[in-house]
Amino acid sequence: MTLGTVALRHLQERLVANVLTVVSIALGVGLVIASALLTRGVKETFVEGTTDYGLVVGAKGSPTQLVLNVVFRMDSPTPNILLPTYAELAGDERVELAVPVAMGDAFQGFRYVATTPAYFAAFRWRRTTFTMAAGRLFRDDPAGSPTYEAVLGAEAARHTGLRLGDRFYEGEEMAEYPLTVVGILRPTRSADDRAIFFSLPSYWEMNELARQVQIKPLTAVLVRTKRMSDLPALHRELNVSAKTQAAFPSTILLAIFNLLGLAEEILTVILAIVAIVVVSYLFVSMYRSTFERRREIATMRALGAPRAAILRIVLLDAAVLSTIGAAAGLLAGHAVAYVGAQLLAARVGVVMDPFALGLLQPVVFGGVVLVGTLAGLLPAMRAYRVEVAENLAPLS
Amino acid sequence: MPRCHSRRHVVPSRIALLGVALLSVAVVARGDEAPRLTFAQLAESIRANFDVTQQMKSYAGKEVEIHGFIIPAGPPDLSFFLLSRVSALGNYCCEVPVGQDETVYVFGAKGVKLPFDPLRVYRVRGVFEVGKQVDRAYGVSMFRIRDARVEHAVGAKIFKVGETPAPVSKP
Repeated sequence: MTLGTVALRHLQERLVANVLTVVSIALGVGLVIASALLTRGVKETFVEGTTDYGLVVGAKGSPTQLVLNVVFRMDSPTPNILLPTYAELAGDERVELAVPVAMGDAFQGFRYVATTPAYFAAFRWRRTTFTMAAGRLFRDDPAGSPTYEAVLGAEAARHTGLRLGDRFYEGEEMAEYPLTVVGILRPTRSADDRAIFFSLPSYWEMNELARQVQIKPLTAVLVRTKRMSDLPALHRELNVSAKTQAAFPSTILLAIFNLLGLAEEILTVILAIVAIVVVSYLFVSMYRSTFERRREIATMRALGAPRAAILRIVLLDAAVLSTIGAAAGLLAGHAVAYVGAQLLAARVGVVMDPFALGLLQPVVFGGVVLVGTLAGLLPAMRAYRVEVAENLAPLS
Repeated sequence: MPRCHSRRHVVPSRIALLGVALLSVAVVARGDEAPRLTFAQLAESIRANFDVTQQMKSYAGKEVEIHGFIIPAGPPDLSFFLLSRVSALGNYCCEVPVGQDETVYVFGAKGVKLPFDPLRVYRVRGVFEVGKQVDRAYGVSMFRIRDARVEHAVGAKIFKVGETPAPVSKP
């Protein structure tokens, strides 16, 4: 009988206790993996999904609300700005490109975003590229003669099941002017995947009330300056004005990350406590099992098993338990992260990769196996020191 | 440095004070570390047609240190940002934003671990580049720092009670 089979026998004998030990290790590891993947994933998704434009200009209010709504389609839109603000920005000699954006209601929860085809244009400085999976972009129709053509983000198209040529609307008010699907975008891994785009003239003519408005409204203007160094001056001018505000999208995200950082620190402390609890549990379990088996160990010693073999058997027990626990925990953690990613994608449109592999997994796995085996060290030492004569004495 | 000292006779006293304050911090720079450039030095070095003084050119390709406010005009991982003499995100009363002459384009800052605060001065060190250059993503720039490392700046000197701020404060 080899050491390995002896160790396995031992584990089988106390099956319930050992399964509980494995489950507690797996839960601890799963918690660490899931929370690490989710917090990192959310952050990376925000970084990846942010806009290429240096400045977002909108009505007075919270810059966080402006950026979250215009770039990530979260929160509610800030109040309207007027079309002349866009014209002024587009005409500013410092501005290379200004793109107007108007946020509308939604179809089955997918936000209407009215803009111009410039929103999708490719530029040398852009990281994001928009390509059509099917159809074409909506026409750049002149104000007053809307075409009601819509382009769907990949996720919006998949979820609603809308196809090219389909006409759709939500709410009685829009029944008279339904939108027609003319194009579907390829996935961009940003909030644009969950948007339904159409032209500004279509937006301004969607209902009677909007049609009567003389000076047409917008939600925001995305601005790219010719020189980055002009951004601070432009930012200031727009913020000093009583009508508008401007925000650097990255500033808002960094502020959010700072807040997340605080939560992460608290989470790290909680996870550290969980890790200590799990290791202590493993330690107590191993210690108890060694204590219970001292007669058996004494018998093995009496039959000629060397002390070192006893030490190795107990250490092997601890190593097997922690390896199974760590492996199960890795699987469980990824499963939880996957479910979390699905929920986030459905609720807020943050699309993250729950299976991102990195240093995290090998480090956690190796760490757990190592610490788990070390937790078996003291019980192993105890087993090592079991006195044959004492423990083979009659029990009563 | 002597050039700045001579300025105090011709400029209004407040600007002179500011200049002296900047200068005094610059002079304190420790000997074995990278030389520190101030925004005043950058602005003064500019000549016509995107040219700069020979003295400023002599820093090109070398490791320098510049203290300024971070303006996150690039992605939120701060792999690119603008370093400016004034904060773009403070209040709107006291400082007029600056243009290209006093803006350093910082590239390749890796793993900026510090929490970003728009109102704090950061110390940025890296390889200095000077002269007109057009970057694919961030356009034309005059002053650049590459492979940057970002730390909190020590901040302005605190003058203890009884200490005279600077001998040149009363012209």
